[in-house]
Amino acid sequence: MKRFIFFISILLFIVFSVPLPAVSAEQPIVIGAPLATAFLYGWDAERGIRLAVEEINKAGGVKVGAKKRPFAVEVIDTRDLEPGVPVSEALLGLEKLILEKKADFIIGGPVRSEAALAAMDLLNKYKKISILTTGVLTPAYQKKIADNYDKYKYCFRNTSHVGVMMGEFITMLEDLRKAHGFDKAAVMVQDVAHARAGGEAMKKGLTAKGWKVSDTKIYPTGTTDYSVGLNDSAKFGAQILFIWMDMPESAILLKQWSDMKLKSLPVGFVCAAEQPGFWKASAGRGEYLIVNLVNGGNAPAKITPWTMKFSDAYKKRWGLEPEGYGTSSSYMAVYQLKDAIEKAGSVDSDAVIKGLENSDIMGVYGRMRFDKKSHQIIPSLDPKEGAVTGIIQWQQGNRVQVFPPKAAAGKVLLPPWMK
Amino acid sequence: MQLLVYGIINSITLSLISLGFALVYSISRVPNFAHGALYILSGYLVWIFLNKFAGFPYPLAIIAAIGLTAVVGALIYRFILIRIRGMEISEIIATYAIGLAILEGLRWGGLRGGTFTLPTFVGGSINFLDVSVDYQRLIIVGVGILTFILLYIFTRFTKIGLALRGIAQDERAAMMLGINSDMTAIVSLAIGSALAGFAAVLLLPLGNIVVEAGYNVLIFAIAVCVIGGLGSWGGTIIASFIIGFAQLLTEAFISTHYQMVVALLAIIITLLVKPSGIFGKQKELEERV
Repeated sequence: MKRFIFFISILLFIVFSVPLPAVSAEQPIVIGAPLATAFLYGWDAERGIRLAVEEINKAGGVKVGAKKRPFAVEVIDTRDLEPGVPVSEALLGLEKLILEKKADFIIGGPVRSEAALAAMDLLNKYKKISILTTGVLTPAYQKKIADNYDKYKYCFRNTSHVGVMMGEFITMLEDLRKAHGFDKAAVMVQDVAHARAGGEAMKKGLTAKGWKVSDTKIYPTGTTDYSVGLNDSAKFGAQILFIWMDMPESAILLKQWSDMKLKSLPVGFVCAAEQPGFWKASAGRGEYLIVNLVNGGNAPAKITPWTMKFSDAYKKRWGLEPEGYGTSSSYMAVYQLKDAIEKAGSVDSDAVIKGLENSDIMGVYGRMRFDKKSHQIIPSLDPKEGAVTGIIQWQQGNRVQVFPPKAAAGKVLLPPWMK
Repeated sequence: MQLLVYGIINSITLSLISLGFALVYSISRVPNFAHGALYILSGYLVWIFLNKFAGFPYPLAIIAAIGLTAVVGALIYRFILIRIRGMEISEIIATYAIGLAILEGLRWGGLRGGTFTLPTFVGGSINFLDVSVDYQRLIIVGVGILTFILLYIFTRFTKIGLALRGIAQDERAAMMLGINSDMTAIVSLAIGSALAGFAAVLLLPLGNIVVEAGYNVLIFAIAVCVIGGLGSWGGTIIASFIIGFAQLLTEAFISTHYQMVVALLAIIITLLVKPSGIFGKQKELEERV
């Protein structure tokens, strides 16, 4: 018995005295993720961040000077996508991440534009670098940075914004005009600031290109019947039904469109239709819908060699394909941060800012580099030149990338009743 | 013609989501602010039965969900509301808190995103009076009208229904005749909750099951009941038709943007012109006194 206890003691001594790998011995670099975790743009972003962190830690961590340090993630629910929750809630969450959770860097949100814009001053106050990866589509974000670089130099955004998305939509619709002779569009948007602005911009842009566009239909959040608007679009002869909605009830619109067999192709920014589960949820009636997922890689695609690698890894880790806007950008932000820290050789904010400004990597959705003045990711229609969008069409239960052509996996299909 | 067809559909939809709220208030005088939450709970229960128990028949899932929702409603009264009965502010706070707990609990438990849906009873659509209407909406109209008729028969020709009406008309007199007030209130909460669940299983296949819809349902139920006259079932149906058609006409002739405002504006106008609502006669007498 004594001999047994002696051996066990020796064994325990060996187990606890042998130094662990360097990666876990070093102090972790804490990534704070302020996200609206009850919503797609929050939970998918969290999953993207966690996946990247796990991959990086597994590979040894981040090289900071001579040491290798692991990443750690602290997530806080900002609730900023919930109706009636004030902006201050998101700011309190962000401050808690910085002060209590000791976040070294911020990745993710806040998710709502108003909250993200307000958070910029807080990031300046604590000199914390943030890479915005989800929600927030307002061009005001990078304008604010460009207008006052010294104050807002801590803020970066690796995702797209309305200005870029409008250009992409119009280019794609012009392609459809050339292919099918379309020239009439109806616009249906949700009664929220970004959707109204998006609808107006689209109407203006298409009209400037010679399209005939009907009066914009603006629907209050929670609308459950779109029959009048859909019938009006049919009377107008619209071949394109441009939709901009982030409310779940937009699924009703698509079901009605499908049931009515309207001779128009639905295109737009439809949050409810981004997720892989939409096909089942709409009982297949979302087929032919074209959705902008804002960034490539938010659905399986072959944009760069990393795209499918990421998609497969995400599916293996979380049990489903990348889910929608915020997934690939949040994942990539961790790698961009790693690259910048390694370039800087420290976690000092000013050094990492320079590292991010000089970072240039071929990521999940193309070449990823920030504009040095506005800290906005540089967009492109060519993945070799910049970050590309992910515009997909639902085809037989799959999200098929159809735009931009250099990253497309298939062509736009028309419903049989349109032919 | 399109306005007529969809006006009727919209009105019956509003009636269905409001009837449960109106019934509970008319009998037990409890403003059940958990109504919207019970609506979503019922839809989610059906979804669970269909998706977590392979091969569970859809009709059985509906019956089980409505039954469970009725039990939840009865339990809410038996264990919570019975203690604060008659204290109106406390009743409002308690029911609203229960509703919040249910809805946010569901969200916390995983009811997030737009992928929770129920299958339509019959897929496809037809051209009805030269207007394209899907079968599910036609079913809603048919079942809705049948529900109104059955409720009318239930409250006038059955013992429980007559007891409910007795309590609604004069609680003290009804109690003197041997009708148990608390038991009647429990029954009313159960039936009201079942009606919320019934509306959910009819209406949710049109869209998806989301927590936010619970809040919207509550707003519309209150709007309809305030305009129709709190406690008046007939008023509830009439008010549903007023709001239902007003929304459609606003959408067609003014702007889609204002259709939600119609219901809220109607509440304000009703409160200014006739605070007791269109059919709120008893309350009107109290106001005069």
